[in-house]
Formats: sequence, structure tokens, C-alpha cells
Amino acid sequence: MSYGLLIADVRRNVFQERNLDLVGFCNLAGIDPYLLLPKGEYEIESSLFKKVLIADVDEDRFLNPLIMVHILEKVIERFKEPFAIVLSASASGMEIAPYVAGYFKVPIVTDVADYDKDSKVFFKSYYSDKVFAHVKLKEEKFYVLTLRSGSFKDHIKSRYEETSQEIIDGFADTDKRIFLGYLEEEKEEVDITKADFLISIGRGVGKKEEIPLYEELALRLRATLSASRPVIDKLWLPKERQVGTSGKTVKPKVYLAMGISGAFQHIQGMKDSECIIAVNKDPDAPIFQYAHYAIVGDMHRIRDRLLEILKGS
Amino acid sequence: MNILVFVKRVQAAQEEELRIVGDGERVDLSKLPYKINDWDNYALEEACRTVEKLGGQVTAITIGDKEADEVLRRSLAMGAKDGLLLEKPETLLDPVIRASLAYNFLTKEKIKFDVILTGVQAEDDQYGVFGGYLAALLSLPYVSLVCGIEEWSGSYAVVRRELEGGLMERVKVDVPCVLSIQTGINEPRYVSIMGIRKASQIQRKVYDAHQYMDGLSATIEVIKWSYPPRKEGATLLSSDIDTACREILNILREKGVYQ
Repeated sequence: MSYGLLIADVRRNVFQERNLDLVGFCNLAGIDPYLLLPKGEYEIESSLFKKVLIADVDEDRFLNPLIMVHILEKVIERFKEPFAIVLSASASGMEIAPYVAGYFKVPIVTDVADYDKDSKVFFKSYYSDKVFAHVKLKEEKFYVLTLRSGSFKDHIKSRYEETSQEIIDGFADTDKRIFLGYLEEEKEEVDITKADFLISIGRGVGKKEEIPLYEELALRLRATLSASRPVIDKLWLPKERQVGTSGKTVKPKVYLAMGISGAFQHIQGMKDSECIIAVNKDPDAPIFQYAHYAIVGDMHRIRDRLLEILKGS
Repeated sequence: MNILVFVKRVQAAQEEELRIVGDGERVDLSKLPYKINDWDNYALEEACRTVEKLGGQVTAITIGDKEADEVLRRSLAMGAKDGLLLEKPETLLDPVIRASLAYNFLTKEKIKFDVILTGVQAEDDQYGVFGGYLAALLSLPYVSLVCGIEEWSGSYAVVRRELEGGLMERVKVDVPCVLSIQTGINEPRYVSIMGIRKASQIQRKVYDAHQYMDGLSATIEVIKWSYPPRKEGATLLSSDIDTACREILNILREKGVYQ
């Protein structure tokens, strides 16, 4: 049986849960999962993997795409070409995957949300999740894949009573790129992860001048104001207010999303909120798929009317 | 510092409804306006700021049809010195081909550079492949999701890259290198229509992309388009704004977050 070479997403000695999607993909595709890890203490469920390959390198060098390609050369030398090299569509996957594909000059499909084994078709989001492309490889050869977190969790199962472990060493090194350390955001007064009620604003807010009125709305409703990436990128609200994969993951009782279309990275950060109310003028905005209540309309008009009612009461 | 920035002209679909035509044969984008890819705009701004500080020049390069010249004029208005169009009338859906074409062009024309900047991804196809694939073909170091450049020296740069959950890492990378720029790294400058008109007078260079396509063929194809799978869906509140607002307040009271 062919194998899928799974490059583990690890960070600060934690084996990330999204790695399990890589297992799910292999099970769906009918191939054996070979997990590639750096040396270190990681909690993994070994029965999920046919083989666990330990690269003789620390985590920060393992996550370096310039070194990863040499580790992969050794793996391929020993086990022949895999069916696919599979990574998570995460910060490390987004960096390593294209470099690996370019190094081996093979095809790549990224951020895959589903796969049809029979037709060998990948389902991939375009235009901020508004449409999906059914993508097929032109030739049958090994390729690189990144998978959207949570997309293959239904196919995760323990299949192996015995898992062999092997060390991968003797690969070339480089110091053309060096990890210097981690930086954490400075902690601010507002912690959006602790709020019961978040009013979150997105790209639809349009201009900076509108922000104070949303701050007033939040104040009057005793909510905390948060935002999606476009608002933070424009520096209209501080970074610690960002909801999403690169910001904070929140689970408030109520999440009132205004003018947020619902890019996947944002959805990942708020989808577990107890009650999601979404306001957006585009009836096809992906956020409506995750909302419990939806209003198709202008966020500013909703805000203004809410303020009128609150001031009047 | 000699910086190349790859910029892409994309259709602005963020705020628009997209319709799929026929039995999934294509997406109707005919009514959508065009713009510079958001991520590339940040990359261009970062390049312009860098040469303003350290000297050198920015060259903007785009792959696309004649109309893609629009993003070159915009890049020149922002501060790029040169604009190069790799003209290709047909859309290249495969990011591998785009990166390979760029590689062939840079090497065949012996284009000199210290650093290549690109956006992390394009907002149309969201592949996020171009920069990394090109870096590997060029055998250059690569850093993606760059959200800060702390230091440039003649031989290296120190950059910050974005990870998950508000975490970042600092990376030292040898120059020449390829960096993919994340949005939010700076605040791109405003570009006036007048500025773009003025930039139109600067000569852009046009190259026929087919000259650099030898041996290249698409590795993937899109065989169909579909809408995202529907989930349970939300309860639709009233289309009347006053009623909808009162319904929101009722939900907030029901959930105990507002009295």
C-alpha cells in the first residue's frame, strides 16, 4: 500500500490537534499514514500511524522549510516516493508546503476542505469561501497537499496495532535561515476570550470614522468590541481584539458579527460561540452558515437603530 | 536594496455575490471590478518604505493580460521605479505554472535583485503557493507570513512571522531571499487617480510570457465549481430594521447578556 507522508504541525512541544486531519485524509484516500516528527516529547496516539519517523533535529529546525526538504529527501530515499506529502493549512504548513513542492517540482493543492477518493477530486475554496473549485491533478504523480483544519475529522480512526518507529538522520543542514525566538503579544486590559458578549465588526465597517459608534453600541449593550482581520490590519482596533486563527479563539454566550463575511480563519476563531447573530448585506456571506440568527441588511443602519432604541429606553 | 515585488490583478469579490453558471462550468465574475491583490499591496508598501529608508529601487512585476498593466501603473504611483508585465492573455489557474514562469523569466532575462516580496496569497484563488515555490526554484531562503521586518543588513534580514493565536517568531534570513508578506504589516499609502495618471507616463516593459513557457504545462485543472456545502442555516430575522433590532435585543435578554 502506498503511504501518505504527514509532516507534523508541532509548536513549543505540542503536537497540534489539526494533525489528525492528515490521518483522516489518508484513511479516506486508502493509504498508510507515515508521521514525520522532530525529536522531542510529543503526545501522539501511535495506533493512528503505520510508521512514526523521527527526524534527528530540534523542533525549530524541523519547521524550517530549507531543512525540511533535506529531511524529506532522506525519507524518500528510504521509503520511495509517497502518494502525497500532507500538511495542515496552518502557519507552518503554509510556509513549508509550497517550498517543498517547488523543491521537488511537484503539483500542490492547498487548503483542501474535502476529497473524493473515486474521482480523485479535491475541493478547494476560492474567493473567501464563496465558491469551491473541484480540482484534479493532470498527471498521477506524487504531490503536496495542505488540509483545512477540521475537514477530515470524520475519517480519523486507529488502524494499527503495531507502529514501527524509525530515525531519519544524515540529512544536509543550512544556516541560511535561523529561528531566533518567539514573541508573544503584550497583554492588554481587554481580554476578549473572557467576554460573555462580543460585538465583532468586519470589513463591512468601511471607514475608521464609523468605529466610535460601534464602541458606543458595545458600551450601551455592555458588550466587548472585537473585530475580524481587515479591521485590525487597518489599525482601527488593537491586535488583541482580533478574532480568528492568527488572533484569539473565543466562545462567548453571544457573538454578534456585523459586516463580517466569514473567512475560514475567522470562523475557526468563533464558531463555538453559544449563540451567533450575523448581520451582513450579502445573503451568501459564509458566516450565515455558522450563525444561529441572520439579518441580511446594512450593519450601520442596524447599529443606528439599535442605538436609537437604547437611547430611547 | 533592489527589491522585486510580484503583484496580481484580481477581481474584488469580498463584498459581492458570486453566481455559478450552468452545471458548475464557471463562476460569473463579469460584473466585478478589478483591484490589486490586497496582500500584494502590503508587500509593495513594505518595499517602497524599505528603499525610502535604505536606498535602492523597487520593481513591480505582474503576470496577466494587457489590462494587468493597471496594477503596474498603480505600483509606479506608489513608488516603484519600474513596472514589468509578463503578458499572458489566458488566465493561469495553476500557481505552479505562475511560479515556474516567473522563475524562467527572472533567470532568462538575468533580472537582478536582493529581495523578492510577494503577498502571502491571492484573494481570488487563495493558494498561497507562489512565493514559496519560486523561492525553492531559485534555491533561495524563504519566510512566509512576514508581519514585520526589524532589520536589513547587506547580508541578512531579521523578520517576524505570524503564527497562530497571537504568537510570532523571529527569524534571521540570508539575503537574497524571498519573503511573503502578511496583511497588517504596514498601512499602505493612499494612491490618487492623479498619481496613477502621472505614473502612466513612465514606460512599462512588456514581455511575451510564451517565451518563458517552454516545458511548462499545468499540473492541475479545475473541472467544476460549486457552492460551499450548506449547513443547517440560521433563523432569518425580520427584514424590517426596527423589528430586527427588537428581535436582537430579545435574543440578548434571553441569553442573559443584556437586561
